[in-house]
Amino acid sequence: MGPEIPTPTILVSSSTLVPCHNGRVFIWPYRFMYLGKSFEAIPEEHETDAIDYNEVMSSDDVVLRQGAMKGAQLREIKIAVEGMENGPKRRRRELEPTVLHKVGDVISAINEAKHVDQLICALHSLAVRLFPLDSSAFSGSIDEQYRDQVLRTEVPSSDERSDWWWVFYQGTAFPTLARVLLYEVASNWLACFPISAQKHVYDVFFVEGLATEVVQTLVPCLQHNARDSLRVNTVCLNAERLLVLCLFENDGILQMAREFGSSFQSEDSISERMKPAVSRVAQLMVSIPDKAPLGAPTSLSSHFFFKQIAIQLLAGVEEKSMKLHDEAASLDKNGMDGTFLFVGETFARICRRGSIDVLLGEVIPRILAHIRSCLQSNTDLIDADVFETNPGFLFWSKMMEAIKDPYAVERMSEQILHYLATEQASDTEAYWTLWMLFHQIFYRQKSVRSMFIDKFLLWKVFPLCCLRWILQFAVLECPPGANSLTKGHNTRGLIDTVQHLVTVWSKQEFVQSAPIEQQTYITAAVGISLEKMSKEELDATKEVMHSILRGVSCRLESPDHLVRRMASSVALVFSKVVDPKNPLHLDDSCSGETIDWEFGLVTPDKGIQVASSSTEKGIKEIENSTASVAGKELDSAVDGGAGNNLKDRDKKLSKFRLVDPDEIIDPAMLNDESTSGGSDDDNASDNSESSNDSSLQPYDLSDDDTDLKKKITQVVDVVGALRKSDDADGVERALDVAENLVRASPDELRHLTGDLVRTLVQVRCSDLTIEGEEESAEEKRQKALVALLVTCPFESLDALHKLLYSPNVDVSQRILILDIMTDAAQELADTRTMKPKRQPGALISTISETQPWFLPSSIGPPGAGSWKEMSGTGSLLNLSYSYERELPPKPNQVKRGKTRRWSLRLKNMPESQTEWSQNKFPLYAAAFMLPAMQGFDKRRHGVDLLARDFIVLGKLIYMLGVCMKCASMHPEASALASPLLDMLSSREVCYHKEAYVRRSVLFAASCVLMALHPSYVASALVEGNPELSKGLEWVRTWALNVADTDTDKDCYTMAMTCLQLHAEMALQASRALETSESTFKTKSIGLSSNMLKGEIKIPHPSVQY
Amino acid sequence: MSKRPPPDPVAVLRGHRASVTDVCFHPSNSILFTGYIYSILFTGSSDGELRIWDTVQHRTVSSAWVHSAAHGVVCVAASPLIGDNKLVSQGRDGTVKYWDIEEGGLSSLIFNFDNRSPSLTIKTNAYHFCKLSLMKKPCACARQAEGPKHYHDMDVKDTVDAEMLNDSSGKAQESLTECSDAAHAEGPKYVAIAGEQSSEVEIWDLNTAERIAQLPQKCLGGSSNYCTKSRGMCMAVQAFLPSESQGFLNILSGYEDGTMVWWDIRNPGIPITSVKFHLEPILSICLDGSCSGGISGAADNKIVIFGLDNPMGSCVVKKEISLERPGISGTSVRSDGKIAATAGWDHRIRIFNYRKGSALAILKYHRATCNAVSFSPDCKLMASSSEDSTVALWELYPP
Repeated sequence: MGPEIPTPTILVSSSTLVPCHNGRVFIWPYRFMYLGKSFEAIPEEHETDAIDYNEVMSSDDVVLRQGAMKGAQLREIKIAVEGMENGPKRRRRELEPTVLHKVGDVISAINEAKHVDQLICALHSLAVRLFPLDSSAFSGSIDEQYRDQVLRTEVPSSDERSDWWWVFYQGTAFPTLARVLLYEVASNWLACFPISAQKHVYDVFFVEGLATEVVQTLVPCLQHNARDSLRVNTVCLNAERLLVLCLFENDGILQMAREFGSSFQSEDSISERMKPAVSRVAQLMVSIPDKAPLGAPTSLSSHFFFKQIAIQLLAGVEEKSMKLHDEAASLDKNGMDGTFLFVGETFARICRRGSIDVLLGEVIPRILAHIRSCLQSNTDLIDADVFETNPGFLFWSKMMEAIKDPYAVERMSEQILHYLATEQASDTEAYWTLWMLFHQIFYRQKSVRSMFIDKFLLWKVFPLCCLRWILQFAVLECPPGANSLTKGHNTRGLIDTVQHLVTVWSKQEFVQSAPIEQQTYITAAVGISLEKMSKEELDATKEVMHSILRGVSCRLESPDHLVRRMASSVALVFSKVVDPKNPLHLDDSCSGETIDWEFGLVTPDKGIQVASSSTEKGIKEIENSTASVAGKELDSAVDGGAGNNLKDRDKKLSKFRLVDPDEIIDPAMLNDESTSGGSDDDNASDNSESSNDSSLQPYDLSDDDTDLKKKITQVVDVVGALRKSDDADGVERALDVAENLVRASPDELRHLTGDLVRTLVQVRCSDLTIEGEEESAEEKRQKALVALLVTCPFESLDALHKLLYSPNVDVSQRILILDIMTDAAQELADTRTMKPKRQPGALISTISETQPWFLPSSIGPPGAGSWKEMSGTGSLLNLSYSYERELPPKPNQVKRGKTRRWSLRLKNMPESQTEWSQNKFPLYAAAFMLPAMQGFDKRRHGVDLLARDFIVLGKLIYMLGVCMKCASMHPEASALASPLLDMLSSREVCYHKEAYVRRSVLFAASCVLMALHPSYVASALVEGNPELSKGLEWVRTWALNVADTDTDKDCYTMAMTCLQLHAEMALQASRALETSESTFKTKSIGLSSNMLKGEIKIPHPSVQY
Repeated sequence: MSKRPPPDPVAVLRGHRASVTDVCFHPSNSILFTGYIYSILFTGSSDGELRIWDTVQHRTVSSAWVHSAAHGVVCVAASPLIGDNKLVSQGRDGTVKYWDIEEGGLSSLIFNFDNRSPSLTIKTNAYHFCKLSLMKKPCACARQAEGPKHYHDMDVKDTVDAEMLNDSSGKAQESLTECSDAAHAEGPKYVAIAGEQSSEVEIWDLNTAERIAQLPQKCLGGSSNYCTKSRGMCMAVQAFLPSESQGFLNILSGYEDGTMVWWDIRNPGIPITSVKFHLEPILSICLDGSCSGGISGAADNKIVIFGLDNPMGSCVVKKEISLERPGISGTSVRSDGKIAATAGWDHRIRIFNYRKGSALAILKYHRATCNAVSFSPDCKLMASSSEDSTVALWELYPP
């Protein structure tokens, strides 16, 4: 709201205060007086609250905050009270003019006071009529002449005093006096007050007063602004001090609660009218931390302050509920007690101010303690009665009922759930906590119901335990069992909820666009509630089954492993419901009894941390995520080989059992011994055998058949073996050798490449290999194909591109093709061939220059050092110079140690003599990319990249991105960039429904940005290459758009890195432009630099990163 | 776990240019000649070459193309019963050749094939896979390592047996008598072989190159016609002279359908017994030194050690050993009866404890199908031959 509003306030208030000094303010006209007050109040309330509150509340408050209305209300209350207690009320009304008169006297005395003691006397004269004062406590600190006056003051009776007190605080007297005290006295006189006097005649008006009135008077002072900063400061400080004194040291909040409680006890109609007042007081009180200026005591900081409020209010509320319980008969459950109303109102406002955690930090431990003690006392059977009859619990539902603000209720419920989760409350405790707080409003208020069932289940994301509690409380509607959710009698709610959940869950759009946390949450909700359903209930709702099947099937196609696991988990639960004996395991991972509904997902905070990753990391991530897809896609095939294997093993076992020597009875031997008597020889040989038997120790009998496999040594044979799909063994052997054969690059390979590529792509190796080895077979095939692509790029690319869009291959094969192209591109780019560097020496060598004539010639083995003169051997007459040099060891001198150094030559060869030549890829870049980019968007028989086979599209774009990266900084990259960008920017690609495709597009775009040489970008701008500059501009705008609007977290982060890359590229390009500008100028090319720079927009750093 | 690794061959004889089909030691362990001790090994290959090796020096002593290269040598055999320095080779060209190996000049080769032509050629007109079999005699004590003297004793005994055979044999054996008279010193030299009708077994006399008998004998009356045609081809044959049969030749023949039939030459029409231990064609039969049992290998994945009960005329399984991979093309029992060896299609030589039937070793050296395995008479050496054109010599379980 406008900051101009306070300005008139100051003018008015100062103008009203001026006549005070003239002594002409004896009788303050009511209207005038309240007008001044209202001027104070209105702007402040606007300032602090209009932003936070919804329209209804604030507009209400604005009306209510009119001072005139407030006066009227207070009077009405008074009348009402009088109506009840006739005698004393009338007396008080009659007393009112007297009190006002007295206050007027005091104020004038204050204005005319010349000495602080005069002031103290004046205040004391009023205070003594209102409070039981011990005058002697401060009389010692004042001057002699005034001391007598103070001590002489007559002390009224206690009845008289309470009448005065009532009239003073409920009428207009207190606000009037308070203004004088808070502004005039505080700024001018208070510093001179003796401390005891300050306490007894100044503070007492606030500390002992009616807390509600005191607060209403004090709070506006906090924000008193005047031109005189010093004065403002003292006023504010004083107000702060008094507030702390009243609210904390004197339990003012508790008092307020009590005051509202007592004033509400009368009739409902009054309480209805009282509500605005209550809400205003609550509002004022809660706004204190906001209004407290900088440097206010810490007790007024929002955390501490709200905590205090909560503690005091809860104490008050407990006291109240005990009282109500005592007089239980008179308690009307629907009726609202003032205390509760106030507490509820205050809590709601604290919620609004965002300090719900502080509040719950006080509330929940109390509830939990209550519940725990209750659960301990009656362990066997717990039901609602236990809690309903307990007086301590009654309040809580009342409190929630008192919070009328739906936003506050929602915030509070959310926070309660989170709080319980962090407290690690048990299911039972959590359930009863929820029950206690919400059971009444849950049944009475439709909005609360829908909050739990719709909002909390479908729109919010809670921890898994909270989900269970929500389901237990709001859907199953019965107390939970020992360690699982239980189902109540009311199954209608469950069925409805499941139906609702499943409808959302099964939508294709939901799978595509909802963030992964949300998906996990709803999947868990579906799963857990499905677990509770019976088959009959499921049968009763046909749509549920239908939707589940639809949801499962559309998830199973997802490239995201997690999403597929969600599908299989739900399918498992579903199948268990339909037929408990025959669970359906779509995935190996969830073979256990219980399903991990969190799917091992990290907590949201961690996710965010991960998301805020740097450029490289972002790109790595997508590389990982995309690369992992193909493997997962293919591993679903199940081989029946295991059974055979087992059978074989069984057979062997039984055979071995047969070979037990004890079992065989040899009739021949028996016959021998019985019939032929002269079998001495046999016996002898038997003996000898037995004696010699020890010599027949068996050798190691382990055997494998590796050597038996026929080695394939020709590429032709590989092709032939792969074509025989019935000979699994042959295929396996062919795959084993394929890569090495191809890498050997025989002459005939070029002619066979096409055939080999086709057969390799089409061989169903996972069907042929035995179970457990599919992965390795796939890997071999992939490696062989990569080797082919690397050794014979053009021939194999030709075949691959034909296959890529042919109707004869399936999705997995298309993915395979793209994968191997990606790998091959990377391998080609990383190829390092080492060749000795050509010495740049002169062609005509002159011996004399390189080496002094007197040195021996440098001919020798490679690696020999340079000649050095030997130091003299002692004799002076050494005429011959001798030289030495280091030689590499001769082969026969090389010691053979345990560690061998290979390549002695290299060790001695300086690094500079070899050079690395790398990146063979750019030569083939066009052959890799262009054919694949042609006609990707055509729908053909079995090929539908844009819709059904979006994974292939994603892979394709990823592959193109990798190709770009591999060719980066080469002229080929610049040539291929614009067609690639053209393809990416087509609407159905870059705004594809699936996040997977969008991610790949972002990746490819980032790759383009990285691959372009800045000088090329610059020259494209200078020479007016509209395609490229248009494409680059498109990347920027599109990435901005994605970063703004995309629901997928990965997309978002990748878009950020893409923007970053774009900025870097733009910077580099502009630098290149600057350096080239001078050369252009010399060439007198008349292009203004402004125009050049206009083409690339460097994104401003303040763009929402 | 720390068992000894299986041994490697002590020597590998290379020289053949084709699959070595058969291997056979010289019946006497060592030949003392001009101060040298030679131990002789004969091998035949599928390109028709026959080589004579010195197993001490591991060198080829002599080599000759004894059968046509197109057909090759099926079998080489030597036995004390046909005499030292005598050798029988069987070719796939339908001939069996009987060689005299003579000591050549001192300067070069010690052994020579006499003029490169056999002393006898039998045209059997049989074109099949069955290796021929020389007679096998039980030696009373299994210790044959004692030297040639022993053989001499046996030879004498052989003669006696042959005479007894002559005495009691029927009409069919008349020719036998003549033969034994003719070659008295060496005794009758018969060879058993699958015949022109491949389901039949024929007995030929090596001295006269005449066919003596056919098993089953073609019966004129047809009343007791025992037909082996249904069993398929005869794939393996083993001739032996059990002590109980009074020197009459007994034949074990294995057939394509896996049956093994035991014949007595005295009753060529009807076999003594027939058993079926194997499911696939029997490829090899070898009897132990006492001729009271043997081992058979087949194209299926088991090896059967069987016992022969001569008086009862029954053949029983003593042990059945199953293999991981099928195909046993050659078997051999060491003459001391302790161990047996098999040559497998799976490139492996397997050694078994012959008495217990337990596996002792799996020898991996050959890189192709093993064709034959043979023990030296002194039990010290074993030779194996393989399609990879090598012959490996092994020293195993010294006696």
